[in-house]
Amino acid sequence: MTANNMADPRRPSKIFRYKPPNTETNPTLEDPTPDYMNLLGMVFSMCGLMLKLKWCAWIAVYCSFISFANSRSSEDTKQMMSSFMLSISAVVMSYLQNPQPMSPPW
Amino acid sequence: FKLFCALCICPLGRYNDDFDDGEDIAEFDDNDFAEFEDVSEDPAVDVEKEPPPRAAPSSTPIEDDEDEATVENEDGQDEFEDADAQDQDMYSKYDNEEFEGYEKTNPSFKNTLIYREVPAHLQNSWESYYMEILMVTGLLAYIMNYIIGKNKNSRLAQAWFNSHRELLESNFALVGDDGTSKEATSTGKLNQENEHIYNLWCSGRVCCEGMLIQLKFLKRQDLLNVLARMMRPACDQVQVKVTLNDEDMDTFVFAVGSRKAMARLQKEMQDLSEFCGDKPKSGAKYGVPESLSILSEMGEVTDGVMDNKMVHYLTSHAEKIESIHFSDQFSGPKVMQEEGQPLKLPETKKTLLFTFNVPGMGNTSPKDMDSLLPLMNMVIYSIDKVRKLRLNREGKQKADRNRARVEENFLKQTHTQRQEAAQTRREEKKRAEKERIMNEEDPDRQRRLEEAAQRREQKKLEKKQMKMKQIKVKAM
Repeated sequence: MTANNMADPRRPSKIFRYKPPNTETNPTLEDPTPDYMNLLGMVFSMCGLMLKLKWCAWIAVYCSFISFANSRSSEDTKQMMSSFMLSISAVVMSYLQNPQPMSPPW
Repeated sequence: FKLFCALCICPLGRYNDDFDDGEDIAEFDDNDFAEFEDVSEDPAVDVEKEPPPRAAPSSTPIEDDEDEATVENEDGQDEFEDADAQDQDMYSKYDNEEFEGYEKTNPSFKNTLIYREVPAHLQNSWESYYMEILMVTGLLAYIMNYIIGKNKNSRLAQAWFNSHRELLESNFALVGDDGTSKEATSTGKLNQENEHIYNLWCSGRVCCEGMLIQLKFLKRQDLLNVLARMMRPACDQVQVKVTLNDEDMDTFVFAVGSRKAMARLQKEMQDLSEFCGDKPKSGAKYGVPESLSILSEMGEVTDGVMDNKMVHYLTSHAEKIESIHFSDQFSGPKVMQEEGQPLKLPETKKTLLFTFNVPGMGNTSPKDMDSLLPLMNMVIYSIDKVRKLRLNREGKQKADRNRARVEENFLKQTHTQRQEAAQTRREEKKRAEKERIMNEEDPDRQRRLEEAAQRREQKKLEKKQMKMKQIKVKAM
């Protein structure tokens, strides 16, 4: 019996459950990229809609994609979808109002 | 301008299909064409072409029936034929009178012919939309990279788990737990936090509370990150955090790792900065490669940790070791101090923290995961070793003094803040009591509460006075 215990380090009686680390107390643990990109995407899509700038709308689409790629699984998909839809609508609206192709800045 | 209009209208007037256009053009002044009607043979409005003069008279009645128009055409033709014979005479007649200076204007008229560009979106070509096509291609590339990167990370994680599963299952009763299920049963799989971070919680072993393994892969799913990594190479990391019970570890702080990592940790980590004040020592003194350096609370700790087996592990896997950190005062990185925030010492936990670099510098293949297995063996060995490592009496005293010193420093720093906090708390209490007294309906009870509060105040004052007297007596 003792030999078995010594050889086997496992102790089912000493099991502790997993507790996800509390990110409120330690904000450095969290990666801020998805939140920043989300915000940036919304800002650019609003710019694109209001100022009728096509390139703003396209950048907004990119931002929402980047935000999605970096997001955590625990994050709400609704937020992602809403920012994505907003950026797509910005692109569509820009082209409906002005079907001319985008001109490069150079 | 009139001539130009005529030019435009004439070709249109010829084709009866362009009825609508003709109607639009009919908006032009009839007077514009009155000129040409009178001169029925049609002077060369356009010196270059013949047809325009023929078509000009037909343009006015174009708003009417097709038939009429054709008839008119024929009429025009007839007239033209008639005119043909007298061509020379006519032109000579007009040349002098009506076309004075005409030839001069004609060339300039030719030069001022403006070709309006058809707006790009009305052109039937996709080429004008090349920026949009570029954008969409970029998005598609991003999506492709996302899928490929996600799959690669997933395969790497699975490969790691497959090679380590046996070792973990033989050491821990619980392998894999996400904390959500009611029963503490092993899920037997990794917990995916992100597309690039995988967690695994193991528990149920002697000498430790639990072990959290984090596979921190590179963000292969994000194209921006991939491009950034082309400039600045980075590697995947495996981070192992073992939390210990109080009896599992004696009081010491120790760290060993690459020189860069040690320099960084000494600045970042709360406990290393407080307890290991000296600069990191080179590992060569203890038999490990020069590339590793050591931070320690005291020499005895280093001697205790760096036994032969440990030295062997460190030497053979030096390039994979980023940092190894043993601490009984582990509280994570230094938290940025806000105004009046840290009134208590940060909570500490006895922890062993290992950070390993996966070989390959980003270009990892699932096979590379096997090379991390010896490092996991080292982790297990360290857990058992730390349990057995006890400081001698001197060491213990030193360690206790260190901890007391750190605590004192902290209390001194926050002294004023704590005083203020205590003051505000006392005031709050008083105010709350007063409010209670005021809100009390029954006047009797009110009086009684007031009296009780007064008595309490009296007692406090008396106590204070006693203390002061005692201090005075002692001073004397």
